[in-house]
Amino acid sequence: MNLGGWVFLFLSWGVILGLVLFCFGKVFGKKALK
Amino acid sequence: MQGTKKRDSWGSRLGIIMAVAGSAIGLGNFLRFPAKAASNGGGAFMIPYFVSLLLLGIPLMWIEWTLGRYGGGFEHGTAPGIFHSIWRKNRFIKYFGVIGIFGPLVIFIYYSYIEAWTLGYSAFALTGKYAGITDQSGMQAFLSGFQGLTKNQYFNGLGAAYLFFVVTFILNIWVIYYGIKGGIERLCKWAMPLLFVFGVILMFRVLTLGAPDAAKPAWNISNGLGFLWNPDFSALKSAKVWLEAAGQIFFTLSVGIGVILTYASYLSKGDDVVLSGLTAASTNELAEVILGGCIVIPAAFVFFGPLDIQSIARSGVFNLGFVTMPLVLNKLPLANILGFLWFFLLFLAGITSSVSLAQPAVAFLEDEFNISRKKAVGIFALVTFILCHAAIFWLGRGVVDELDFWGGTFFLVLFATIETILFAWVFGMENAWDEIHKGADMRVPKIYKFIIKYITPLFLFCILGMWFVQEWLPIIFMKGILPENKNFILGTRIGLVLIFLTLAILVKIAWKKRKERVV
Repeated sequence: MNLGGWVFLFLSWGVILGLVLFCFGKVFGKKALK
Repeated sequence: MQGTKKRDSWGSRLGIIMAVAGSAIGLGNFLRFPAKAASNGGGAFMIPYFVSLLLLGIPLMWIEWTLGRYGGGFEHGTAPGIFHSIWRKNRFIKYFGVIGIFGPLVIFIYYSYIEAWTLGYSAFALTGKYAGITDQSGMQAFLSGFQGLTKNQYFNGLGAAYLFFVVTFILNIWVIYYGIKGGIERLCKWAMPLLFVFGVILMFRVLTLGAPDAAKPAWNISNGLGFLWNPDFSALKSAKVWLEAAGQIFFTLSVGIGVILTYASYLSKGDDVVLSGLTAASTNELAEVILGGCIVIPAAFVFFGPLDIQSIARSGVFNLGFVTMPLVLNKLPLANILGFLWFFLLFLAGITSSVSLAQPAVAFLEDEFNISRKKAVGIFALVTFILCHAAIFWLGRGVVDELDFWGGTFFLVLFATIETILFAWVFGMENAWDEIHKGADMRVPKIYKFIIKYITPLFLFCILGMWFVQEWLPIIFMKGILPENKNFILGTRIGLVLIFLTLAILVKIAWKKRKERVV
């Protein structure tokens, strides 16, 4: 894989993992499990 | 409001997030996404993909969650009632809502059969039924035999596929029978974590493959990932690539079907939809980009090399899942276990989607005809069990492709366009904005007021127009269909019209009864 491939892979992973952590962090922070 | 019986509800917020994510995560996440990305610019595909997620996927997700919760407040769990609640003055709008029951019902007819294949292959993996097959043609023959398309040394009829279909169908009905909280939520709360555990195990196995054939050091996992992720920026100049990315986002999030409307209708007025919708969408993306992007294509590259992978990536979802993947896993130690993990992962992805497809029809009978859940599930089971036989026995005649075109593509985009116009233009963006934020745990960025009103509908019109001209017209005119199959396609279309008309008549009867009750 070339450098561009690694950049796109890690950027995509970063965006999605960031979004998931942000969302679930907020959900559990608000005591989602009643 | 009918008010004679209490509607079902979700037991927890995590429950509906898992259920919506489960509905969205399907075979496409693991098979369609990597094939599309690899064939449309590799890493560069992620640019139109994320643009479509922001301008189309996430807005549609919020629109459906909000419309669903709004309609649920009037005890409507399906699109006819929800659309009527939005635009009471228009007596025809409820008939456009029929698409929101028709689409999922049609998809359920063939989806539950394909889901049965994944259950069958899970059992075959464990028992080693396909363990001795080492080439593409052998595995293709195994699949054709199982589907009943040919009789060969592996299968001499449809018996095995039919048996797994019956088991899968009963499992689906069993889950729906126990309702939202006791059935669907309970299933998704254990199935989704299990799916991710299986996916992570498979991902790590693939990423640690290295270069299994010492004679071919270039056939390694880094180059396999490169085949999927190396960017080809020239692809961004092609409108087709942007359209493919928009289509992938559209299909992956389960928007435009009517399922999210129904799921969200079981929320209370003060329940958040902004954060929950975003969380469900991001969970789907996690399964698609991270797991889906690291399993099938890189693994196939390592074992089949840079030349064959081109045709494999274009060979279609079924070939990737049921031919290429078992061949790849057969070459690894613990092939039985890995094969089981792969097909059971697909089965979990399938069943959490199929129960969601069944729910709108069941909710329609319950809400609009005031009948018990047990009766509604009974009617649904009887009708769909009969209809599924068309997909089972006429698979080779192109019936499944036809059902997928109308239920899973054409009406999906049309429905999404209708609900976006209703939400942003009929309900009005100010009302819509207030409705979205009722009970919200986070604010939607203000730019989305503009995006939902102008960009998302425009995006949808572009997709509708371009697909209609480029891809749909030849399908509508049956171009490329074998002459001996044309009657089956025509029969399927007549059947679909009859289903649509029956649903429209049921809507008419339900509203007439409602009017009589009010008078």
